[in-house]
This record gives sequence, structure tokens and C-alpha cells, in this order.
Amino acid sequence: MAAGTLADRRSEKAVPTRGRARRPVALLTISSLVAAILALPLVFLLIEAHGAGVSDVAHLIFRPLTRSLLWNTVRLTVVVTVACAVIGTAAAWCVERTDLPGRRVWAVLVVVPLAIPDFVVSFGWNSLWAWAHGFLGAFIVMTLAVYPLVYLPVAASLRGADPGQEEVARSLGSGRVRTFVRITLGQAKGAILGGCLLVALVLLAEYGAFEILGYQTFTTEIFSEFNGYSFAASCALSLVLVVLSLLILAGEGMLRGRGQVSRSGPMTQRVNPPQQLGWLRWPALALFAALALLALGVPIGAALYWMADGLPPALSGGANVSLADAGGHTALYGGSAAALATVMAFPVALLAIRHSGRMRRLLERSTYLVLGMPGVVIAFALSYFTERYLAGFGDGTTMLLIACYAIMFFPLALVGVKASLARAPAGLDEVARSLGKRRLAVLVRVTVRLAGPGLVAAFCLVFLSVITELTATLLLIPTGAQTLATQFWSYESNLSYSQAAPFALVMIIVAAVPSYILGRFFNRPAQARG
Amino acid sequence: MRQVAVSGLHKAFGAHPVLTGVDLEVPAGSLTAILGPSGSGKTTLLRLMAGFDRADAGTIRIGDVLVDGPDVHTPPERRRIGYVPQEGALFPHLTVEANVGFGLAARERRGAKVAHMLEAVGLGGFGKRYPHQLSGGQQQRVALARALAIEPAVVLLDEPFASLDAHLRASVRADVQDIFRRSGTTAVLVTHDQDEALSVADRVAALRDGKIAQCATPEDLYCRPADPELASFIGDANLLEGVLNGGVVKTLLGSLPLDAAATALAGAGQVTVLVRPEQIELEPSADGVPGRVTAFGYHGHDAVVHVRPDRDADGRTIMVRITGGPQLPVGAPVHLRARGPVFAWRRD
Repeated sequence: MAAGTLADRRSEKAVPTRGRARRPVALLTISSLVAAILALPLVFLLIEAHGAGVSDVAHLIFRPLTRSLLWNTVRLTVVVTVACAVIGTAAAWCVERTDLPGRRVWAVLVVVPLAIPDFVVSFGWNSLWAWAHGFLGAFIVMTLAVYPLVYLPVAASLRGADPGQEEVARSLGSGRVRTFVRITLGQAKGAILGGCLLVALVLLAEYGAFEILGYQTFTTEIFSEFNGYSFAASCALSLVLVVLSLLILAGEGMLRGRGQVSRSGPMTQRVNPPQQLGWLRWPALALFAALALLALGVPIGAALYWMADGLPPALSGGANVSLADAGGHTALYGGSAAALATVMAFPVALLAIRHSGRMRRLLERSTYLVLGMPGVVIAFALSYFTERYLAGFGDGTTMLLIACYAIMFFPLALVGVKASLARAPAGLDEVARSLGKRRLAVLVRVTVRLAGPGLVAAFCLVFLSVITELTATLLLIPTGAQTLATQFWSYESNLSYSQAAPFALVMIIVAAVPSYILGRFFNRPAQARG
Repeated sequence: MRQVAVSGLHKAFGAHPVLTGVDLEVPAGSLTAILGPSGSGKTTLLRLMAGFDRADAGTIRIGDVLVDGPDVHTPPERRRIGYVPQEGALFPHLTVEANVGFGLAARERRGAKVAHMLEAVGLGGFGKRYPHQLSGGQQQRVALARALAIEPAVVLLDEPFASLDAHLRASVRADVQDIFRRSGTTAVLVTHDQDEALSVADRVAALRDGKIAQCATPEDLYCRPADPELASFIGDANLLEGVLNGGVVKTLLGSLPLDAAATALAGAGQVTVLVRPEQIELEPSADGVPGRVTAFGYHGHDAVVHVRPDRDADGRTIMVRITGGPQLPVGAPVHLRARGPVFAWRRD
């Protein structure tokens, strides 16, 4: 080809396209649409703040109440996050890297608390012991309820990290403790930070547990201001809360840094002999037993205790009908929201895994916007906006609630879908296309088939979260409908503990099933390698 | 007749140019190897032929059809190419049968064709198994059957033997060569292993600095490479200074006859001479060029002896390949004798 033609084609594309034969236009369009939906709550919130009057909102932000809420929220977040980091990391190291007796059993028992809603844990402690309230109660309850958020990623990263690095460090004269600090913790650093981020965001968004324990944070205050129809005040506090969440997200990003190379060489999994605990195994066992007792025994025990206490009323006809009815609503909302979130996540995940470019990064970041929006703010923004500006359209309808869930839990669905698409490598798609199949056929016959189990996992992740969701549900649930969580809540608020208890137990049991499926999925080694 | 024609192909990733004007013709029915070191752009070239990527400039024709050029880019599914990636990339969720039948129409998938293809690659009766139940060599042959089933215009293989164990590699290589010979299918194979390229292919295209440095039969490429640098890349090479006079070139190792193909050099002058290690023998008697052993590399079936000639002022060593014979200690005195014909290039 002549040099002139070459120059022509070069000048046509100032920026050389990279990798793919053509830009994935359809995928980009759909993903942009999803990102726009995710941005809605923030947009609504800003419109509402503007509508309430900038000076009014500023006045509401700079008052003593805000300062005391900030102090309450921040000190609890810091203390609980540190406690979770220590417990989660230590437990993960014991289970994954040592000869702790009964490791397989502990691996399950330390994760199960995740399936127990935070407000059920706080109900358990608060209903049994009056001293469990305020800051101390919130610290104990939240630590026990959310430390698995650190345990899970750290255990996964320790399992995937190259044990050869520890051996090399030992061979270079570094002792046990030094190796643990410099190599093992280094390998798990990203996972620990990621876990801490989740813990901090959960604490900012928590409502039910703090309400029971009488501990006032931004979220509880937004909730009561909104219920008292002080929209400008909820709006102002929401803005502060969103800024706080975004600060935490930015801080985690800065701490994480760049260049995380966790493994070199072939991806073969080698089993290393576990570290010998020696006599330390007995105190370690005692600590694990105590953890299981406090995190699992207390809430489940309390529920059983109150149920036994009031057996006749709990078994009376009325309560049972309401249990089935509430369960039905929970399943309906959870299933619809999980399906919607998974479908929304699919194009974004496909774009993130298979393509590169500025648009892709921008779209992926948009999910951070949602992570930084606590559920109470999303619910408040959606509900107030539709009520005020789209009069009557969305108020109290099932659609609005499901949309709210799907937006709230989109980041979870994205994690699941991305993990599943990683099991369907692009190389297989290319082979399929070389065999004469069109893009859509390849998507159906290869990509979706391989990603199938992972899509189920993403569905479960969202479903699980909806079952135990209380805050947004209370704000948006259609009049007359009840879910397991809201029905539990209304009994609990009336101090009808024996009637609340069965709902708590059903929630725990229902949440345990998707948890189990999830555990199976994320523990399985990737095997789609052709 | 040519089956694939690549002309003036350019491809850059960002500011980093990978291919800078590749010209290549693949004759119909041939097995052509593209040989190049890691990072030379071999795989990029293959992916452009397959249509997974798009060239920045240049054209690609398959048969008589322009598939990549200005304003033309045929998607991979309409190029009739059989693509066999490095590790086979069988679909893990499908049986061997379903893998082989993947590219066929539903009617053909149920017919005898799939079984026939499996027979052809020596895997009759394996149809109901899943990929993870097969060995690496078997997976590779299924991948080949899958590519051949669609009766492609050309099969593209990306380092197909790299992931196999050394002992398995030779047998799978021979099988593959045999399958292509019998089916008469045109194939392009990418490899960084010069042994593989020389032993399997009918034609070898050496890729260097984003261009095809030479495309020739294995023998031509080995015995008559385009330049000294290429000579060193394709196997071990002794590059000696020489003076040409008529059909004879005078070197450190004595006067050697010039290869007939190098007669373009006719006349006299300074030349660089290529003497392959196996063109030199160690002489027991004292009538060769005297020297001393500086290193001895033992390979079982043969050995490479490094010898420093006594009268060479530069202190360079000559590589000699011997088969059998005793191990020689460093410092042992030996005598060298070279056999022609040798190839040479004029020195500027």
C-alpha cells in the first residue's frame, strides 16, 4: 500500500483505536442508560436541596445538632471499623493459614452472622440486657454483625495469594512475625481496606439497629425528620451524609494506592502446610467459640427465648397468616429487585471486563456514586421527588420500592456479575466468532451459559440484601403491605417481643439459603479455562 | 495459487507500533509458519487475519476477497477462518462433540460429520466426554477438529504446541502436520520456536521489527538467510569474515566453495560468511585449523563445542556440533575442518 494512503488513514483517527475491531456502541449506550438511572437519587437530592432554598439548607447544616450527629457517627464508625478489621483479619488468617482444629466448621460459622439482619442482632442484645444501648451497645452489636464483611475478602485473598512469597521471606531470614506483618498482611492489604470500606458504609447507612439501641446518627435523624415531614432538614442532613460517604470512598482509594501485583508465574494453586499454632490453639479456639456465641448465639437464642416465652400468641391464627403474607411480599420484592439489578449490571460488567477506554472507566465509577448514597438517602430522594414533582406517580407503589432496591444494591450485583464474566474469557468468544457465529449468538450460546452460575450468585447477593433491608422498606413500602422486616419492626416497636421473634427466625433461615449458595460460588476455583 | 495475501499491514497499540508494513503471501494448501521472538507482533498479525482486530493500514485478502482494507472490515464470523488459540480454548460447558459441531448448522451437527472429524484427528469415540476429561494433546486435537469442521479457507494456529509437554509436543506436531497434508487445508501457524517452524512448515516467514524479514522454505531460510542477523536467529551460526574470489571464499577455516544461490555476489571482495556448527568437524589428525576447547555443551544426542582457533587474533570462538565422541575437557587441543558450500553476504 502506498505511503500516502497510510498517512490518510492515520489522520482520520487522531487517537488510534485500541484492541477491538469496533467500538461497542450498543453496549456503551445501554450502560450509559444504567449509569443515568444510578445517578437519579443524587440528582433528585440536589434538585430538592435547591428547591428548599440554599440559605435555608445551609442554615440547617450549620447548627449544633449536626455537630453532635457528626461526632456520634464518626466515632462509632472509626471504632467499629478498627474492631472489625482486627477480628476479621485474625479470624481469616487462623482459618486459612493455620492448623486451628475444626477449620472447615469455623469457616462457615464465622460467616453466618452476615445473614442475620443488624436490627435483629440489636434486638437480641437489647431485649435480653438493658445495659446494651447507646454507644457501648452500638459498638458491640455492629462489630458482631458486620465483621464478616472484612473476614470474607481477607480469607479469599489469603486463599488466592501465593504462599511461595511467605516461604521466600522465611528463606531470606525473616522471622514468623516479621513475615506475617510484611508479607501476609501486605498480600491482604487490599482486601482489608475493601472490607473496612464496606463496614464504614454500612455504619453510615444503618437505621434499625441504632433506633433500637437509642443511638442517634445521621441516618436515624434523617429518618425521623422525614417522617415528621421536615423535608428541608432531611435534605440538609442527607447532603452531609453523602459527603461523608464520598470522603470515605476517596480515602480508601488513596490508601489502596496503585500497582497491586499479587502473584507472578503460572496460576497453579499450591497447598502449603498450615502454620503450627502449638499451645496457642487453645486460646484461639476459645476466642472462636466466644465469637460464635456472641454473634450467633445471642440473637438466635434471644429469638428462641421470646418465642418460647409467648408461645400461645405466636401460634394463634392471626400471626401465622401474617407471617406467610409478609414472607410472600419479601420474596416478591427481593426476587424482582434481584432480577432487575442483575440485568442492569450485565452490560456494565461486560463493558468493564471486555473493553477498555475512558467511557468504560467513567461508567464503572458511576457505581461509586451509589455506594456513597446510604439507603435512607436514596429512598428519601426517590420518594420525595416523585411525590413532589411527578405528583402521585411513584408514591408508595411497588415499582418505586423495587427500583430503589435495584439502585441500592446495584454495586453488589455488579461484583457478582463481574466475577462470573471473568469465568467466560474473551478468547472463547473469539473462537466462537471464528466458527461463523454472530455476536448475539455468541453471547447466548457461550458467554451467558458460562457466566450462568455467577449470575445466580449475583441474584442471590441482592435477594439476600433485600430480605434484611429495613430502612428504605419502611419509607417506601406501599400502604397495607408488610414484609418480614417491617412486620418484625412493628411488633418490636410495640415491645411485642414474642410476636416479633418468629419473623426474626424466618428472616435468618431465609437469608441462610442464598448465603450458602454464595459461599459455594465464591469458594469454588475458577475452572473455565478450556 | 495464493490463499491469503497480506500487503502493507500496519498496526499500532497507542503510540507503540507493532506491525510496520507486513507483506506476506500464503500459497493454497501450504502450511506457513510465522516465526518471531516474543513481542515481535506474531499474534497481532494472526488476530488481524482472523478479524479480531482491525489494521491501521494495509490490506488482507482471503482467497480473492478483500477482508480488511480502507473502509472494509469483514467480521470474523464471515471470514471462514478456523482459529486455534494457544491453549485450545475448548468451550468448557460443551462436550467434545458439541465443541466440534459448534460452527456447523443444526442439521450438520446431528449428522456423521462430527464423528468423521473426530476420526480424522484420531479421537473417534471421545465425543461424549467433556474437555476437562482430556489430556492437553487431545484438547489441542479437538480444537483442530472444531476449526476444520467448518471447512475453512484457512486455519490460523496461535502457538498451538506451546502449552504441551516436550515429549508430547513432537507427536502432536507430527499428527497436526499429517492432518493438514491429508485435508489439503491452508494453514498459518505462529511460533517463537525455530525448531518447530523448520520441522512443521512448508514455508517459514521470519517476522522482525514489524516486517517480514524473509519468507522461504525451511531449507532456504536456514541455509540461505537474508542477512547475518537472521542467520543467528534461525539456529546457531558462525559468522566469519572472508574474501571472495570467483566461486571460492577464503576464511579463517580455509577456502570454502560458495553456495550456488549466492552467485549473485559474483566477483571479488570482502564478505561475511555463514558457517553452521554442523558444517565443521573436529579432525583427529593435525591437518585442520588448530585451536583449543573453551566450552563443551552436552545435549545427549549431540554436543556443541566452542573452540578458539590458535591463530585468530580477535579471540573469537567457533561453534562446532559433533555427534557422539568423547567429552572434551576445556583447554584440550583440537583441529577444525569446515565443509562447504557456505553462504555469504557482501560487507559494506
